[in-house]
Amino acid sequence: MHNTAVAHAHHAEHPNGIWRWITTTNHKDIGTLYLCFSLLMFFVGGAFAMLIRAELFKPGMQLMDPLFFNEMATLHGLVMIFGAIMPAFVGLANWMIPMMVGAPDMALPRMNNWSFWILPFAFILLLSTLFMPGGAPASGWTMYAPLMLQTGTAFPFTIFAIHLMGISSVMGAINIIATILNLRAPGMTLMKMPLFVWCWLITAYLLIAVMPVLAGAVTMELMDKYFGTSFFNAAGGGDPLLFQHVFWFFGHPEVYIMVLPAFGIISEIIPTFSRKPLFGYTSMVYAVASIAFLSFIVWAHHMFTVGMPLAADLFFMFTTMLIAVPTGVKVFNWVATMWRGALSFETPMLFAIAFVFLFTIGGFSGVMLALVPADWQYHDTYFVVAHFHYVLVTGSAFAIMGAVYYWLPKWTGHMYNETLAKWHFWLSVISINVLYFPMHFLGLAGMNRRLPDYPVQFTDLNQVVSIGGFVFGVSQLLFVACIILCVRGGKKAEAKVWEGALGLEWTLPSPPPYHSFTEPPAANLIWAHPYQND
Amino acid sequence: MLQKNFKKALRGVIASSLALISGSAFAIDLNMPVGVTPMSHDVYDLHMYVFWVCVGIGIVVFGLMLISIIWHRKAAGYQPAQFHENTAIEVIWTIIPFIILIALAIPASKVLVDMTNTSDPDMSIKIEGYQWKWQYDYLQNGFSYFSTLATDSNAASQLDSGINPISVPHYLRDVDHPMVVPTGKKIRLLITANDVIHSWWVEDFAVKVDAIPGFVNQAWIKVDKPGTYRGSCSQLCGRGHAFMPIVVVAESWSDYQKWVAAMQTSHGAFINPATLQPEQNGSPVVYAPAELNFNAPTPAPTQATATATPAAAPSPTPGSAAAEVKPAGKPVVAGKSWTMAVAMVRGKQVFDANCAACHMADGKGNPAMAVPAIAAGPIPNGPLAAHISLVLHGKGIMPAWGNILDDADLAAVITYERNSFGNHQGDLVQPAQIKAAR
Repeated sequence: MHNTAVAHAHHAEHPNGIWRWITTTNHKDIGTLYLCFSLLMFFVGGAFAMLIRAELFKPGMQLMDPLFFNEMATLHGLVMIFGAIMPAFVGLANWMIPMMVGAPDMALPRMNNWSFWILPFAFILLLSTLFMPGGAPASGWTMYAPLMLQTGTAFPFTIFAIHLMGISSVMGAINIIATILNLRAPGMTLMKMPLFVWCWLITAYLLIAVMPVLAGAVTMELMDKYFGTSFFNAAGGGDPLLFQHVFWFFGHPEVYIMVLPAFGIISEIIPTFSRKPLFGYTSMVYAVASIAFLSFIVWAHHMFTVGMPLAADLFFMFTTMLIAVPTGVKVFNWVATMWRGALSFETPMLFAIAFVFLFTIGGFSGVMLALVPADWQYHDTYFVVAHFHYVLVTGSAFAIMGAVYYWLPKWTGHMYNETLAKWHFWLSVISINVLYFPMHFLGLAGMNRRLPDYPVQFTDLNQVVSIGGFVFGVSQLLFVACIILCVRGGKKAEAKVWEGALGLEWTLPSPPPYHSFTEPPAANLIWAHPYQND
Repeated sequence: MLQKNFKKALRGVIASSLALISGSAFAIDLNMPVGVTPMSHDVYDLHMYVFWVCVGIGIVVFGLMLISIIWHRKAAGYQPAQFHENTAIEVIWTIIPFIILIALAIPASKVLVDMTNTSDPDMSIKIEGYQWKWQYDYLQNGFSYFSTLATDSNAASQLDSGINPISVPHYLRDVDHPMVVPTGKKIRLLITANDVIHSWWVEDFAVKVDAIPGFVNQAWIKVDKPGTYRGSCSQLCGRGHAFMPIVVVAESWSDYQKWVAAMQTSHGAFINPATLQPEQNGSPVVYAPAELNFNAPTPAPTQATATATPAAAPSPTPGSAAAEVKPAGKPVVAGKSWTMAVAMVRGKQVFDANCAACHMADGKGNPAMAVPAIAAGPIPNGPLAAHISLVLHGKGIMPAWGNILDDADLAAVITYERNSFGNHQGDLVQPAQIKAAR
């Protein structure tokens, strides 16, 4: 005990100013860095989306060359996925997992510092391609060969940026696994972990499994372009479809990497504001595990139109439909948690309820897309764009926003401004449906995705979509305002910020000490955990 | 009072959403079209079936959530229950989705088996995707042609063109040379690509098949009724992805046979399926003047009447080469040559249809794509042999045009490039030179 105290005193002498942030190995500092970085990237990716929606406000080309439009669509995807959503979840993991499992810090703090500081360089590399001859990559975030091979100077820079992002993710994932498996407080067995921790543990394994696959796919493209190989060149005996198979073997688990931690967040927020323990804890854990397993055997549902054999089409259709079962179990469990609870509607709960409604709508269109014959009509249209924005924005991004409001008082020691936050929520949830719902109709009517220009009959709905997009974009400034105001001051937050909150993080003061649990939490604190009653 | 207003508002919302659903508020149908092939009917039925299943599940799940939100509120003084498990109900809500999914999978699999059955076709058409146009190859009839975006759409779609797309008929959904198919026949489509991956999609046929270099994918259609059906490339294929639409004209078997017969004797000119006359406007990519056509055994019988059929010509392009050259009585097989004026007119048409997408209509190139300028560029102002070789064989993203255009088109466009945009090389390239350089 004595030694720990000395070590603590020593660690407390961290440098100030910019060096504190560059050299920090503290999980809270790194979590803050991740979250700030992801917020910045959310606005960069959002700016690209605003340009896309501005060009699509009217038929005809008004603002940009079609090629620049393709660059915007590509960078919007890459920045939002690798720059906004994934780092936000890693930031939340950094902040919350040590506090939730009763640990002082992450298990591998030095690597933690590295895994964050690689990211800014990766994105400087990626975004610098905008200023290169030939422009940024313009082949969509999926980087399909052979189109990707037509990229100009930006090509190797994009690929090395992807490599850096992959290294950062894998390091973050290793750290999270090491923390969860080694630093849990005595008495916290695996089946007593909070659901957020469970979801992240499974997500981290997915990351380690598939990020190297993406690295392999883009490296093969690099080889094809500069070293004379023909992995994807049909004329040289290669196979353009090989890229798609390898890419989606990464890409589908990636979808769940971006949504499983969101499941974890929602499973924390809904019980708190329902004042009722999570329904079906065990089945939630098994559902997440089976979703993770299924995510490895469904990848070709992104490729139903490439002309696979009938047997392959049937296999991937059936496995894809199967995912609806564990996902359904999760939704039913959330509904059952709310059922006969005593609900109150603070901003985190509003985001969580919106998540369940809107993610489920994305799930419905997912079931529709799973049916191969119907997919032939939906594939690569705005119907797909609507589907994955419902699961990624009203799914993942809403969960992240809910999580920020949920834990912000814990992080800063101040309550956020509830009125401003509610404005942010309502403006977001209304505008986002104006933005994404009409996309279903556009897709069904025949509008393809990734179009810089469109036939005139799609004009009015595109204008509705664009207006929704602009309002959603501007509303996010309220989010920034809420965060800044809350960091600066506000009503003092108690240790247990929310009346119904359960879990170790609420036993620490707000804000928590620099090293969360320098001593293991008392056993009775873990015993207070709702899952313990089983 | 408040309640009255609320009811009024509710009525307004319902009325407007009904208007929305019926589609009267918007220019498009908000649902998937039923289409005109047996397959598209099946797909539409499947789509509606799964849609209503989702609506049903949604009503149950969202309904329960709304009940909780409305009644089980802390503000209403509701005391929370503390249950957190119920094995029976958890088993039930795992099994019910299984049953629903099986009920969806059976019809879906049936339709899928039907869709992939391309055996015993009445005829086959090969479709090849290019950046950014389609080629239709009538395998049993021995002719093929390219289909590119209609010139009026192309003009209006340029950055700051000043042309309102609404004034263009079928903006971005019109081509110079449509694909022509007979009704009531099972047609096998063999779909591939030349450069990058494209996707051939006509929604009314419920056919969307990727066109992939090195692969030949199959699909089949059987069109119920004559008409013009429009589609587009559905896989991102580069800068011109939005600008390579598909138009399919379906006509009765007898009309179709007349069109095929006319195509077979047209020496490469595209025969308008409606008028059965050679096309005078649009992109003349695959036709050479009759006397320069290497393959033509006899001149087209319809050539003489060609100038008299501008029926479907809203904006005739400046006298196409075919019109300027008098229909010769006999084909000149050897030693044929053309004048600078003919080559330049023809070269401009070939350039606008094929080269302008990257090198730009003003020949300034596209720095964003690292595409060099034609104007004052080193290749058009350098040695002729190197210029011909580059155009024939391609380099980097520059396609090997030798595989796509015929000798006359290549000679014309190279002549045009060397004598336009401020270039004054004075070279007049003859088709024979291209033939020799191949």
